[in-house]
Amino acid sequence: MSNGGNPAALLPLLIFMAVMIGIGFYVRQVQARGFGRNFVQQYFIGNHDLGGFVLAMTTVATYSSVSSFVGGPGMAWQIGFGWIYMAVVQVTAIFLVLGIFGKRVALLSRKFDAVTVVDIIRERFQSDGLASLAAFIIVLFFCATMTAQFVGGAKLFAAVTGYSYEMGLLLFGLAVVVYTTVGGFRAVALTDTCCALIMMLGIVLLLYYVLAAGGGYENLMANLHSNHPEMFEPLSNGHMPVGLYLTQWILVGICTIALPQSVVRGISYKDTASLHKAMLIGTVVVGFMNIGINFTGILAHGVLTGDLASYGGVDNIIPRTIVTVMPPTLVGLAIIGPLAASISTISGLLIVASSAIIKDVYLHHQHKQGKEPGTKQLRLLSMLATAVIGVVVFVIALTPPSLIWIINMFAFGGLETAFFWMLLLGLFWRRANKLGALLSMSGGTVVYCLTQGMGFKVMGLHQITIGITASLLFFLIGTYLDKPQDEQVLAEFFPRRED
Amino acid sequence: MTDWEKYQQIRREAAFTGLALLVLILFWCWAGFGLAGVDMEIGGLPLWAVTSSIGVWLFAIVLVKILLKFVFRDMPLEDGGKEGSDHE
Repeated sequence: MSNGGNPAALLPLLIFMAVMIGIGFYVRQVQARGFGRNFVQQYFIGNHDLGGFVLAMTTVATYSSVSSFVGGPGMAWQIGFGWIYMAVVQVTAIFLVLGIFGKRVALLSRKFDAVTVVDIIRERFQSDGLASLAAFIIVLFFCATMTAQFVGGAKLFAAVTGYSYEMGLLLFGLAVVVYTTVGGFRAVALTDTCCALIMMLGIVLLLYYVLAAGGGYENLMANLHSNHPEMFEPLSNGHMPVGLYLTQWILVGICTIALPQSVVRGISYKDTASLHKAMLIGTVVVGFMNIGINFTGILAHGVLTGDLASYGGVDNIIPRTIVTVMPPTLVGLAIIGPLAASISTISGLLIVASSAIIKDVYLHHQHKQGKEPGTKQLRLLSMLATAVIGVVVFVIALTPPSLIWIINMFAFGGLETAFFWMLLLGLFWRRANKLGALLSMSGGTVVYCLTQGMGFKVMGLHQITIGITASLLFFLIGTYLDKPQDEQVLAEFFPRRED
Repeated sequence: MTDWEKYQQIRREAAFTGLALLVLILFWCWAGFGLAGVDMEIGGLPLWAVTSSIGVWLFAIVLVKILLKFVFRDMPLEDGGKEGSDHE
């Protein structure tokens, strides 16, 4: 890898980031006219305005992180087609969350003037404690995830361009904080759309050059067939155990429907036609990305033919591939894809984390005291909250403490454990009540983090299986130990025929 | 549509989405593990490698299309309850 730094690699990235920031300011300009009435709704959810295409793209882009573009295909390089077989379960992620929660959340949010998932949880279970706990879990896990995204993106930048880690962080890190702060959710959705398109372009580009570098498809395949026959078996000669397939279905497939950053997108769209369209487009796009990038990773094994240790781990495979196969002038274009995956996840989490603090904690507290903060004040505070969280995470990412990696390890499964049953049972089961939700969220998350932290496994399966089971048991126990919610509340959530 | 009708429809859609998931899981098992022993190649790849990747993807797209055509219905998102009481 060159150490001098490749100036050609910077230009496309600079242009891309400038466009992203431009979108942020443009959105703000347009929205400023309508800011007067309901700033919070505009800023945090884009005023129920998204069409089908943008809804699909922002859901996919937030869901697809930098690891789907770096670590994932690196594993595919090692394991082979078994890895695609496992990654393809993610085609369920978009249609499940939109199909199961999309309309439910859209209707409820309009009924209660809700802007966040926590708003809906608060109304359903009539519990400020539960809402605060949910907001806390969101902020904690989101910050850790955002840090990991920053670090992943900046490392990739440094490895590919030859410039420093800090410079990469500064370049794309500040850009994402600026445009999210300035433009709010609407800017997040629009930039996400650009990011998703760039990600797909990046995959096609890299695939093309890998094929060229490897002497064509047939040549690459012949090479893999003779040198790595295990890459053509589902279990990859034991590298890919059946248990991993099972837990991936749970961890990156089914349970992702409860991730708050995905569910909140159900509040944001315009009409049901948009939702339906997004289910289809989202499924097409998420499948294309997962198969495309991992297939590229497999083919890269015909180009990078050394053993894994010589490249220093799976995370280095894709950066190495980019540097090896791409002409230096196009390297900059090739890294925009993975960086887009990184910033689109950060922006999506950042705006939700900010909404948790402003809407779920601050505004709720003010309303309880009978105060109604002015629009000007709210605007200032909302942007401030977004900027502060962004900058804090940015600073942490400069020299990440080991604690961040521990929290990050818990984050994905922890969020799923915390929200899966609470949302699924809370929104579709009349009997579900506050005690159940509280026990499920706190108990399930604690059990998950403890077993994860201690490395305790049942039958060798990932701890999400323990977490999600414990969370369900807690929910049922709590629910049957206590009375149902008030009839008045339930009537709002589960309308009777007589209405 | 009244609130009650909307809720019934949403439950139906959610249930069928869950059913689609089950069908997809079964297809996924068959398309990968089920076909892994078949000695046939498509474009230099064993059959299962194609059916378990692009095959599952296309199958999911078809499933969503079926859901959208036969199960999902358009509905107004504005508060139907309030409108309803206006009419009474």
